[in-house]
Amino acid sequence: MSVLRRFLRTPEAIAGAIILAALFAMALSASLFFPGDPQAIAGPALLPPFQDWGLPLGTDRLGRDVLAELFHGSRTSLAVGLAAAAAALVIGAIVGTLAGFAGGLVDEVLMRITDAFQTVPSFLLALAFVSVVGPSLGVVVVAIALGAWTGPARVARAEVLSIRERDYVAGARVIGMHPLEIAFREVLPNALPPVLALSSVIVAAAILTEAALSFLGLGDPNRVTWGGMIAEGRTVLRTAPFLSVIPGVALVLTVLGVYLAGEGVVETTAVRRSLS
Amino acid sequence: MSGFTISRRTMLAGSAALLASTAMPTIGWAQTPKKGGRLVVAADSEPRNLNPAIVASNGVFFISSKVVETLAEASFDGKDGLQPRLALSWEGAADGLSVTFKLRDGVKWHDGKPFTSADVAFSALQIWKPLQNLGRTVFKDLAAVDTPDELTAVFKFAKPTPFQLIRNALPALSSVVPKHVYETGKIEENPANNAPVGTGPFKFAEYKAGQYYRLQKNTDYWGKDEPWLDEIVYQVLPDRTSAAAALEAEEIQLAAFSAVPLADLDRISKVPGLKVITKGYEGLTYQLVVEINHRRKELADLKVRQAIAHAIDKDFVVKTVFLGYAATATGPVPKNDPQFYTADVPTYAFDVAKANALLDEAGYKKGPDGKRFSLKLLPAPYFNETKQFGDYLRQALAAIGIDAELVNNDSPAHIKAVYTDHAFDLAVGPPVFRGDPAISTTILVQSGIPDGVPFSNQGGYKNEDLDALIAKASETLDTAARTELYKEFQKKVAADLPLINVAEWSFISVARDTVGKIANNPRWAVSNWADTYLAG
Repeated sequence: MSVLRRFLRTPEAIAGAIILAALFAMALSASLFFPGDPQAIAGPALLPPFQDWGLPLGTDRLGRDVLAELFHGSRTSLAVGLAAAAAALVIGAIVGTLAGFAGGLVDEVLMRITDAFQTVPSFLLALAFVSVVGPSLGVVVVAIALGAWTGPARVARAEVLSIRERDYVAGARVIGMHPLEIAFREVLPNALPPVLALSSVIVAAAILTEAALSFLGLGDPNRVTWGGMIAEGRTVLRTAPFLSVIPGVALVLTVLGVYLAGEGVVETTAVRRSLS
Repeated sequence: MSGFTISRRTMLAGSAALLASTAMPTIGWAQTPKKGGRLVVAADSEPRNLNPAIVASNGVFFISSKVVETLAEASFDGKDGLQPRLALSWEGAADGLSVTFKLRDGVKWHDGKPFTSADVAFSALQIWKPLQNLGRTVFKDLAAVDTPDELTAVFKFAKPTPFQLIRNALPALSSVVPKHVYETGKIEENPANNAPVGTGPFKFAEYKAGQYYRLQKNTDYWGKDEPWLDEIVYQVLPDRTSAAAALEAEEIQLAAFSAVPLADLDRISKVPGLKVITKGYEGLTYQLVVEINHRRKELADLKVRQAIAHAIDKDFVVKTVFLGYAATATGPVPKNDPQFYTADVPTYAFDVAKANALLDEAGYKKGPDGKRFSLKLLPAPYFNETKQFGDYLRQALAAIGIDAELVNNDSPAHIKAVYTDHAFDLAVGPPVFRGDPAISTTILVQSGIPDGVPFSNQGGYKNEDLDALIAKASETLDTAARTELYKEFQKKVAADLPLINVAEWSFISVARDTVGKIANNPRWAVSNWADTYLAG
């Protein structure tokens, strides 16, 4: 309870939490408010916003309801952002723990692989992966995770390197626990907090990467995505700028919300650590 | 500072002039023809092979038709819709076994050598027939080209070939390249493919990848007082939204091939100094077509195909996807074709209830989730409009209980998926009608075409009636009888729906009003621009 209170003490965290809550509400209520296919043609094409209260944000080039697309698009953004971040964190934590705990040759090999992935810009990696495998939601998640796991891996390794010298790890060795068991049951849980602190950055980056992929036409075409909406709106940017601006603003707010909430979490944990 | 004072009067005069300039009709304004000048044009793609004799496509013609000329060009008022270029006259023998071309005298290649019938014979036999994407079909029975003198070329065919077809093929298929440049080494690897040598009004000057192509005036051109321009520069602007901005900023003077998005035309037509031209593409009609994979058992059923045809609201497509810059289609020949088109074909009105009834009749009842069956839909990525129509078609199919999954690919992957791997159920394609159904239209329904031939029937469709009709038309010499056969062809295609023709569209040019003689032939954007000028 006191953690929550501490979290809510900073105004950034409150703003972030509100935005995130709104976003989750949007994603969860999408089928409630807009049942059926959000890509169905709902009215005349290129209707500007605030003209017809049945279609409050207007319609796109084919006459699809922009508000419905926005709601359903939030699902894709959140799903991809969270799934990609989760995948990146899991892979990163495992690789980092193994490298840090095993040391020696295993460490060298794993960290060189990490280096190799880190030298390639993660967006290029995602772009190449999706163009080869073909765009679908799962592939996009994997593609983003592929470029994002290196950060958590490095942080996890650094933490593990310091933790593995602690007494309780030596104790675990003495009682004959299997090294892997020590690594994942004793060391990893303690190395996790700083790794998790990276999650907000990764989620925000993943949402942006997904949008960028969709913008380039490499998103899943059967789903509404904000990036795809911006890309479609781009062809009529001069005549109907709202088609790009609305999903663009949604994207900015989301990334901002995730980042602010993440900062709040980091600050809360930092305070707790310094207190303990 | 005293020289720069703005008085009320000059201000008023200035704004009055400005008002007057916007009020004046843009066409016919400032059209004092002037020699010289550089025309800067937007180019949205950078073809690697610029040899129009090998790659007969509009992307290549757009640049190289100014350098390499054809035997004849399309014309609004010429006999049979043609005007002479390198050939002065053409005559077909009654037996359909030969066509005689009289060539223009005094024509020189850009390297100074004279143009002769040997060049025509070489181009036809060594390039058009074996190598050219379209020539392979049209010139398949060409056996020899006799050259009794330097200015006469006689095409000899092994089987009777309709003169009408050869005539209609001239503007797009008969680019003549110099024999002396191409006779040594492999034709496909000749450096002139990237820096073409021709007889045209402009010489190829340079190409900077990702930046521009530059063509320079051919001072030795055969046309009297032509060309008017000194230079043509093709500014590479791959982003379609940037062409409009470049026009407004006067960085370019012409954007052809709808480089300015349709949605922007309404706004741009009101910009003073710019004009929107919808003419000059009559000979380059693109067709919006739903390609069907008949290997899918559901799609092999005529009722299902009819249901899909009834589910598509063609008027909506024309109005929304093409913003009115298109026409609804009735069959495989576009309405604007003066020779072959017939409206007397079965039509499919937009009728969702009827479509649903047809699907029920065919035995594909709606499941508990409202779906009958699922399909893979591959919209071609070449145009915004084909992609948007893909989005529309998915919705139209959903309305009749067919669940279509969109698969987006880039161009090479799309061509491979549809025309080689047949990994599609429905595809959206933009085939081109080139003035004669035998050039690139019958190939869309004919059976027995090897895998991997792009823009052909790769849907596994086989209809012996239609095949026989196509074969008969290809050897019918009498123009009227041949035209009748193609009318029959349109009826059969519309009845059996090997593919569904949805709409037909051409392109739009936007130019500054100083550019003169735009759109003066039906293939203007891909013609030689010898008479195009910049007003002074």
